[in-house]
Amino acid sequence: MEFKDYYATLGVSESAAPEEIKKAYRKLARKYHPDVSKEADADEKFKDVGEAYEVLKDPEKRAEYDQLRQYGSQGGQFEPPPGWESAAHFGGGGYTHADARGFSDFFESIFGGGGGQRGGFGFRHQASMRGEDVHARLSLFLEEAFHGCEKQVQFTVHEMDEHGHVRARQKTLKVKIPQGMREGQHIRLKGQGAPGIGGGEAGDLFIEVELAPHPHFTIEGRDIFVTVPISPWEAALGATITVPTVDGRVNVKVPKGSSSGRKLRLKGKGLPGKHPGDEIAVLQIVMPEQHSEKAAELYAKLAEAEPAFNPRSKLGV
Amino acid sequence: MAKSEPIYDVELIDAHTTFTLREFCERGEVHAEFVIKLVNYGVISPVEEGEVREWCFDLPALARLRKAQRLQRDLDLNVPGLAMSLDLLDDVQSLRREVERLNHQLRQLMGDW
Repeated sequence: MEFKDYYATLGVSESAAPEEIKKAYRKLARKYHPDVSKEADADEKFKDVGEAYEVLKDPEKRAEYDQLRQYGSQGGQFEPPPGWESAAHFGGGGYTHADARGFSDFFESIFGGGGGQRGGFGFRHQASMRGEDVHARLSLFLEEAFHGCEKQVQFTVHEMDEHGHVRARQKTLKVKIPQGMREGQHIRLKGQGAPGIGGGEAGDLFIEVELAPHPHFTIEGRDIFVTVPISPWEAALGATITVPTVDGRVNVKVPKGSSSGRKLRLKGKGLPGKHPGDEIAVLQIVMPEQHSEKAAELYAKLAEAEPAFNPRSKLGV
Repeated sequence: MAKSEPIYDVELIDAHTTFTLREFCERGEVHAEFVIKLVNYGVISPVEEGEVREWCFDLPALARLRKAQRLQRDLDLNVPGLAMSLDLLDDVQSLRREVERLNHQLRQLMGDW
């Protein structure tokens, strides 16, 4: 396995004082906290920072790590020296999210751990315990959310083995997503979380739905917005145009004299449900890239026919 | 013969899916005292349901509780600090969404599809 340089992770020198290490950790923990950061690898970075701090904040672990660092950081693959055994017993708890199930193989190879002990909170002292709920996210394309679909959901369940150690297990389920799911909406699969202990009920799996960005449509609640380009003559004279919806094309009447930004509401064409949303077509007047000579003449005539129109009157010019 | 994979039906969570204080603490793995503190600081609110005297919480409150718990554990925040952080994070999230939506519209208006 790869040698992890905990000093580099926290951006401190080998001789850094405990206070300096704590300060660096706090700053990075705030920066990469998965509930705060939007960086794609925030979760991973946060774990690395937590793991580095778990070792460097503890004088005993730090001394052992320094010793191994001499031995192991000479490049290439790292294996602990034969017969290596850490004196520091890792039991979890403390200031960080100290729970060995989140730490790397590198950490475990040095300090052991073998999974955190579960419990320590109020209701967890009972002999029979309800299994942990699992909270997962599922990204859907708008079309999938609109029509409903079958999806594979992957998630991690923490189970206790016969020695009372928590082990992570990957689970995959195929689930039926109902039609009309909105961004941020939740579904539940009862009993698909972690198994209970001592006859306790299994936890539930909660899935939060998120919608992947669509090239044409944007979503607000149950309403679907689409920008629809129209020609200047369609805007001026009115027209029946074809507009895309998630459920196929529909014909829509553009009222004559429409400006850019005018919104046409297509009732019930938004996300389906008990109270279905609407589709809102936002008109946008576009010009052809090139006009024919005839068209240019007609525009000139148009300019003559409408001398009083000042599109910039609101600007006071 | 290959066994066909089961397809699970799901339960849609709506405003009527609520948890009692006990269930809420159990699912969030917290003491009731922590929940009471969060309610007193307005970080989470119980669902108001007419005559019901017992506190009930919905799923968004559970998600907020879990977030509060993570922030407290990882960043060593006290409850007033948690309350402010969570409010600011909510604001940031809705602003990010708004910016994303407006950028999308702007790209379309500029003809950059």
